[in-house]
Amino acid sequence: MTALVALACASAENATDRSTEFRVALLTPGPVSDQSWNSAAYSGLERIRDTLGAEISHIQTRTPAEFEENFRQYGAKGYALVIGHGFEYQDAAQRVAPEYPKTTYVTTGGTGVGPNIAALSFAFNEPSYLAGMAAAAVSKTGILGTIGGTALPPVAASFTAFEAGARAVRPDIKVLGAFIGNWDDAGAGKEQALAQIARRADVIFQNADAAGLGVFQAVRESKGVWVIGANADQNALAPSVTLGSVVIDLPLAFALVAQEVRSGTFAPRVVRFDTATGVVRWVPNPGIAVISASMLARLDSTRILFAEHRFLLPPGMMP
Amino acid sequence: MLMDVLAALWDGAFGSAAAFWSATLVRATPLMLVGLAVAVAFRAGVVNIGAEGQLVLGAIAATAVAQWLGAAPGIITIPAMALGGMAAGAAWAGIAAWLRRRSGVLEVISTLLLNFIALALLSWVVRGPLQEPTGIYPQSSTIAAGAHWPFLLEGQRLHLGFAFGLSLAAASWYWLAHTASGFRVRVAGAGARAAASAGGVDVARTTFGVFLISGACAGLAGASEVGGVTWALYEGISPGYGYTAIAVALLARLDPRWVVVSAIFFGALEAGAAAMQRDAGVPAVLVQVFVALVILGVLAGTQLRDWRREQRLVARAEAA
Repeated sequence: MTALVALACASAENATDRSTEFRVALLTPGPVSDQSWNSAAYSGLERIRDTLGAEISHIQTRTPAEFEENFRQYGAKGYALVIGHGFEYQDAAQRVAPEYPKTTYVTTGGTGVGPNIAALSFAFNEPSYLAGMAAAAVSKTGILGTIGGTALPPVAASFTAFEAGARAVRPDIKVLGAFIGNWDDAGAGKEQALAQIARRADVIFQNADAAGLGVFQAVRESKGVWVIGANADQNALAPSVTLGSVVIDLPLAFALVAQEVRSGTFAPRVVRFDTATGVVRWVPNPGIAVISASMLARLDSTRILFAEHRFLLPPGMMP
Repeated sequence: MLMDVLAALWDGAFGSAAAFWSATLVRATPLMLVGLAVAVAFRAGVVNIGAEGQLVLGAIAATAVAQWLGAAPGIITIPAMALGGMAAGAAWAGIAAWLRRRSGVLEVISTLLLNFIALALLSWVVRGPLQEPTGIYPQSSTIAAGAHWPFLLEGQRLHLGFAFGLSLAAASWYWLAHTASGFRVRVAGAGARAAASAGGVDVARTTFGVFLISGACAGLAGASEVGGVTWALYEGISPGYGYTAIAVALLARLDPRWVVVSAIFFGALEAGAAAMQRDAGVPAVLVQVFVALVILGVLAGTQLRDWRREQRLVARAEAA
């Protein structure tokens, strides 16, 4: 037990030794070891610490009751910026923020805005569309798969956009969809992936955080199957079988918002990060060369259309 | 540094009025109600592992009742939510109770499996009949202000559900210890065959009733979370209260009075554990391991004390 606590203390030092006034907290719905949604957010928190000299705090929360309790605790402690990492934090922000006007509450996703509440919105569907195009281009069977944790609105929208992108390249493409039912059961993630592979899917787009790691495992063990990462750049997780990743550059987004909060110029709003901002992007795996030059050119021209707002996805593909 | 971590643990649970009344006791409330559900069932020999599902059904029913009554005054809405939650929890437990009575299906299996069905049901209702009006988010809309359960103290988050927990603990203690039907429950739990043959107790009927009461307590916990804390129905409404409550009840040795203490202990531990993450920067995984070790340590400690006492009694008997 002592060893355990001592181990914990090693990581505690960073958080407590600094005595700057600018304090930033992050609440995540899952473990920051997922190499995806949550770990990218934690990297963002670290970026805020390193670039702005902020004192940081993180907590993993499970229930709406815990969201509210911790929002209150951070408000009472005078944190300047509190980030709830997911749309599911928006109700808690609405309830707690009025009690702590000096704290800015930001939710990653959601649409709730107030005097000290803002929401970050990511056009995750745009790079998902590009991923669909790339997937259709490399698929030999004409069957793709999508695997999500649970059917959360942004995830479902991203899968719809993925399918639309694939269809733009190959109108006859078939997409198998599955949701695991949670975000942390890697074994179940692997099972879903193996089931899709058995039904001849040869490119799988996963967005399931820690459970998604099981999808990578399944693809690694199978022949001729590609996987596409989500949220963070997951290309290094399985470099030989990963086609690319649909990335949200959370560190960049968080740093931009924190900078504004720190300088006092932050205006409560839905802060939208689309392809033009560079925060959401399709990152092909640099280690593999299966996508033809003409397809790469087509992907790039579509990306430019997104960036210049000349190509807008329909509302059904919006989170 | 160790002192910092332990200080955070203590401060998070008891360090301030807000920590105690708004974190520790708020977290203890569902554990107390579900802990009572488990304790009462176990006393009757009913191994109800399904409090989680019964809680979820209670939360669904309470939300539905609150939405249905809309802006009706709280004096109507709040009791209706509580009763709706209890009825739904009892009904969900009733399925397993009926299966046990009718065809001897082991409730350990049936209640456990019903938990998964309850969670799937929750997942569906927040995307279907109870979804918020925009139809985007998997959650219900917030219940009317009149349906919010009152806070017990000015400026703190402690709510009516805690008072329900205390009253139920007192009532179930009195019932088990001082009434004839409570005695039948204990006898049925202690030895079903002896209770039936020597005591003339209708064991099947007694355990069936206790099963429903247990489900009602768990259902009330679900209603209390919706009414007192979240004010809306969400997929992640319970982090597994139904399972934690088994430890709460066992630590209390199935005594309703001690369930109160045990639930507050667990509430304090969880509130303190949160502060360990927030204020001392201890990673979530280590905090979970720490909490598990504390629970294990306390359970083992009480068992050891029992064992020593038994040994002493045996030694004394042998000497005499």
